[in-house]
Amino acid sequence: MLIKARAAIPYSMSIIDLTTTKKPDLALRLKLLAKIGEHKPYNCFQCIRCTSGCPSMKMLELKPHEIVSLASLGFIEELIASGTVWACATCLKCKERCPQAVAPVDLIFALRNLAVEKEAKVPESFLRSLSAILETGFVQKPQDTVTRKMEKVNREKLDLPKFHEPDEKFKAAFFKVLELFQE
Amino acid sequence: MKVAVYWGCLIPTVQYGYEMSVRAVMPQLGLELVELNNVSCCGTPIKSVNMFAALYLAVRNLAIAEKTGLDDLLLPCNGCYLSLSEAKHLLSQDGKLKERINNILKEENLQYEGSIKIWHTINLLHDLAGEERMREVVKHPLNGLKLAVHYGCHILRPSTFQPIDDSENPKKMDELVEWLGAKSIPYPEKLDCCGYMLLLSHPDAALTFTGLKLKAVQDWGADALVVSCPSCQMMFDMRQKSSGATTGAKLNLPVLYYTQLLGLAMDISTERLGLNLNRSPIDELLQKVGLISTATSP
Repeated sequence: MLIKARAAIPYSMSIIDLTTTKKPDLALRLKLLAKIGEHKPYNCFQCIRCTSGCPSMKMLELKPHEIVSLASLGFIEELIASGTVWACATCLKCKERCPQAVAPVDLIFALRNLAVEKEAKVPESFLRSLSAILETGFVQKPQDTVTRKMEKVNREKLDLPKFHEPDEKFKAAFFKVLELFQE
Repeated sequence: MKVAVYWGCLIPTVQYGYEMSVRAVMPQLGLELVELNNVSCCGTPIKSVNMFAALYLAVRNLAIAEKTGLDDLLLPCNGCYLSLSEAKHLLSQDGKLKERINNILKEENLQYEGSIKIWHTINLLHDLAGEERMREVVKHPLNGLKLAVHYGCHILRPSTFQPIDDSENPKKMDELVEWLGAKSIPYPEKLDCCGYMLLLSHPDAALTFTGLKLKAVQDWGADALVVSCPSCQMMFDMRQKSSGATTGAKLNLPVLYYTQLLGLAMDISTERLGLNLNRSPIDELLQKVGLISTATSP
């Protein structure tokens, strides 16, 4: 099956390099496919509409079509280790424009999830958001801020109603959700 | 008419100008906001870490909104709108997933049905309030202003999730601006991303996204950039100076929320609209619409 996939895809230089030096991980490939619902990467015919509209392509050389191709072939470890998946700005243009309903952005989210599960290098701030939600229900508590004239203000001074965090029951249930996902 | 409101994380913890202006303009349009109790983050910030946990948070907030018995829910934040519209879409397609999440929600006496209709500020004002009502509330027409609108990615795409407007050629925010007497200028960078979601991993690239778009809007001769998303505002307004430094551009462009602009047209005071919290040069815009005289500005 994999040989067929290789033959069908007009792969770029970097994939040729990988296919001659690495072995695809089929178990990890299946695990990835299970995370992304209907948007299967093997439906991609490399029209490159995703990459041509990608704002991160201009700035960070993110190539969604390559990610789709590598994932389809099973080079998951390599994708995670490369760190390219963290260059996506999630503008969703690739998902909107793909004629094959592949949704490269969903694949990128799934690969980021796998990077976290496999304890690969992950930008730390993403993990901080999760611990903040576990602690307070939100990514942050209400912050003090300043006006353009540098007067210090907060919600109370601005006559905004009191901000409420969710109760303890929320935290218990959310903790359970995180455990369920680990299984 | 009563509408439930879910503020998310960024609006009630740092983007006070959006919350204040939404609270100030909605009653004048006959829309009464109903607060939700016990809600949490929408899930978007942790989607990269754990997609299932993110989905659970989105569904939980929808279930809390449904408990009010109201038909409509306002999500002023684009990130929340994407997260909750995605949750609605996924659970309408997958009964098993819905059952699985409802089983966890039971512990908090919650249940998700999928009955509540979700709105973003822009389509709520455009479709629910409507042109006639919107034109009626304008007391101070913003004639002569040339404005650029920025929709923000997450209320437009993907078209499978019930976006607020056409994904590739949106018109609603432009029309909303024109109903206030101002002109919405066409510009090729309209759908360009603000860069916010890259801030955690590639801050320089994120600021480059911001700086390039601001420079383009400024060069097209816009008097201000109008936004409707707290993340976009945090880039175009709060980080305007640093994005100018990153891209080597001299930026001096007022950036404000559509609801702040609407409030100005309704003759609501700048303090009540939180306009003194914007970092960009708002006073220049206020002078142009004759709301402050040149002599009193700093």
